[in-house]
Amino acid sequence: MFRWFLSLRYLRARKTNLIGIGGIFVGVGALILILSIMTGFLEETRRSVRGSLSDLVISPYFGIREDSRVPSDPAKLLEAVRADARVAAAAAHLVWYCQIVKQGSDANYNLRILSNSQSGNLSAVQIVGIDPQDEFGATELHDALERTPMRGAKVDDVDRPFEIPERFNATPLEQGIVVGEKLYDNLALKRGDRVTLATVVPDTRKSGQVLTQSRNYIVLGTFRSMENEMDMSRIYLDRAELVDFLDSPIDFSEVLVKLHDFKRDGETTKAELQESLTKKHLLFGYSGEVRTWQEFRGVLLGAIENERVLMGIMLSLVLLVAGFTVFAILSMMVTEKRRDIGILTALGATPRGVMTSFLMIAFWDALIGAALGAVFGTWGALKIDAIERSLSSTFGVQIFNREVYLFDTIPSVVEVLPVTLIVLGAFVCAILFAAIPAWRAANLDPLEALRHE
Amino acid sequence: MSAIAPPTPRSVSAPALLSARNIRKSFSIGEETLEILHGVNLDLHQGEMLALTGTSGAGKSTLLHILGLLDRPSEGSVSIEGQSGWDLSIAERANIRNQRIGFVFQFYHLLPELDAVENVLLPAMIHESQASFRRRRRQHYEHARELLAGFGLGSRFAHRPSQLSGGERQRVALARALFHDPAILIADEPTGNLDTHTGEKVLELIFREQQRRQLSLLLVTHDERLAQRCQRHLVMADGRIA
Repeated sequence: MFRWFLSLRYLRARKTNLIGIGGIFVGVGALILILSIMTGFLEETRRSVRGSLSDLVISPYFGIREDSRVPSDPAKLLEAVRADARVAAAAAHLVWYCQIVKQGSDANYNLRILSNSQSGNLSAVQIVGIDPQDEFGATELHDALERTPMRGAKVDDVDRPFEIPERFNATPLEQGIVVGEKLYDNLALKRGDRVTLATVVPDTRKSGQVLTQSRNYIVLGTFRSMENEMDMSRIYLDRAELVDFLDSPIDFSEVLVKLHDFKRDGETTKAELQESLTKKHLLFGYSGEVRTWQEFRGVLLGAIENERVLMGIMLSLVLLVAGFTVFAILSMMVTEKRRDIGILTALGATPRGVMTSFLMIAFWDALIGAALGAVFGTWGALKIDAIERSLSSTFGVQIFNREVYLFDTIPSVVEVLPVTLIVLGAFVCAILFAAIPAWRAANLDPLEALRHE
Repeated sequence: MSAIAPPTPRSVSAPALLSARNIRKSFSIGEETLEILHGVNLDLHQGEMLALTGTSGAGKSTLLHILGLLDRPSEGSVSIEGQSGWDLSIAERANIRNQRIGFVFQFYHLLPELDAVENVLLPAMIHESQASFRRRRRQHYEHARELLAGFGLGSRFAHRPSQLSGGERQRVALARALFHDPAILIADEPTGNLDTHTGEKVLELIFREQQRRQLSLLLVTHDERLAQRCQRHLVMADGRIA
């Protein structure tokens, strides 16, 4: 009983304990706040970079082995992938890079675009040949086509995006493309406009040579994926048409796979597909031919995750400093309370009891500090946007520049597990640092203290 | 004090409450060994008042601490109510100090953060768990207040040691020592820090309680006159009982 009583009494009597409590409070609060914001950032970024990517991406390393039995036609690969019960949908597509130039009267405009040193992003666009129905199953393209455009124009029939309406007066050989809405806007395109796509293709039959290819297409409409890069530099067209246009040696470059449950099956399916497809000679067997979407965006996500971990480590140092404070305060207290320790021993306290009394002071420090930290940290994380806005307007400086990031509010996600771990960490830290002075208190010679006033 | 019967007959028949045999205590300072107690034998019977006098450095306090199970002798044994104190576990020994021995020190040794009642309650707090103390809280507080009131401190319950006079502090310390109704009261110069008048009052209280409770009192003092008031008077010199 005296452990509780005395530790609380000492806590109250010695105001220096407030420094320890304050340190733990700041450490716990800051850790929760920053980690919540970083988690929010990570999730928002993950959501926005996810975009058109499916769960898994299979990209065979074509051209590495000439004697390969891996077919350049995706049919067998698709069949094998779809046979897996965990797979919900799979689609093959062919990606290529090309230049796009608008046809027609506005030659000066084209001239300006093509000769402008600042329009680098327009000189190369990505053309993606897809099988629309498959692609709809495996990615969010259907949504992107259906979404009300901000600067673009929807296609006539979202379910058959490459069908050319009669009013565009297409010749039998002409085919249509669907353009990202920002690209559409940048090039000042209209539906029905003709554009020329021009690119180079390696001529595999004569090593080292490249062939130039170009063809005219009709702009059928736009898509809006909400992912900046895609909307600015991607064009969709029918895969068979792209193969024909390029006279491509391969019929596809990637197979996109959507799983029923990515969280559960993602990693295992990835490994198993890599193995089974290699056995069936549908892949070359190099590692990385099957990747999860996260690996695809690995660098960006990794950077944010890295930053989160680094922040965590740096802020843990605050807790460490708080631990040192607890250590210093308790060490001082043990020296100061030498006589009390002697008295308690004479009255029947065991060394263990004495040690526990001092450990409990650290326990109260941690309890009060961590509770305050958890409450204020969580509150701050939930209200960070409002807090930032009021701070910004009060001091007239912009703390969070919403133009720089893709989000218009500061994202923040408070998760129970990290909060629990941080609070636990604070306890462990405080108790560990208190252990040394508490142990010293238990091993003091009580007589030394009792002999003198 | 003349009314107190001589203890000699009882000491022959009844076993001693506290018995020390061949107590030696030595300290090593560098290569030298300093022997403070050279084989002390001592018996304290129930209800007996024993005074221990001697010059400074004679080893009185060291002997007292060994008898009170606070300091381990280099040799010899201390038995309290038949139990060999220094063969017990730390917790058992602590329990004997808590339940069977009451200490009164020259410098009172009250905890400065606690008020008078709380200081008196310390033995109970140390002995009991949180739950059991809470259950008997009222009872304990009443007992503590009764003790203090009995010592003339009825208006001093909530006062901290710093707000009490020396005599009052020593009375609080006496109440604390008697809280668990111990069998043995060890008093180390209880009046050494008090003026004659106050000291006298504290002594009256100690003797009164000794009589009332049939305590075995071991009183260490410089004061020969005071020692004469006890039934038995031992004089220590050079680590021996003369």
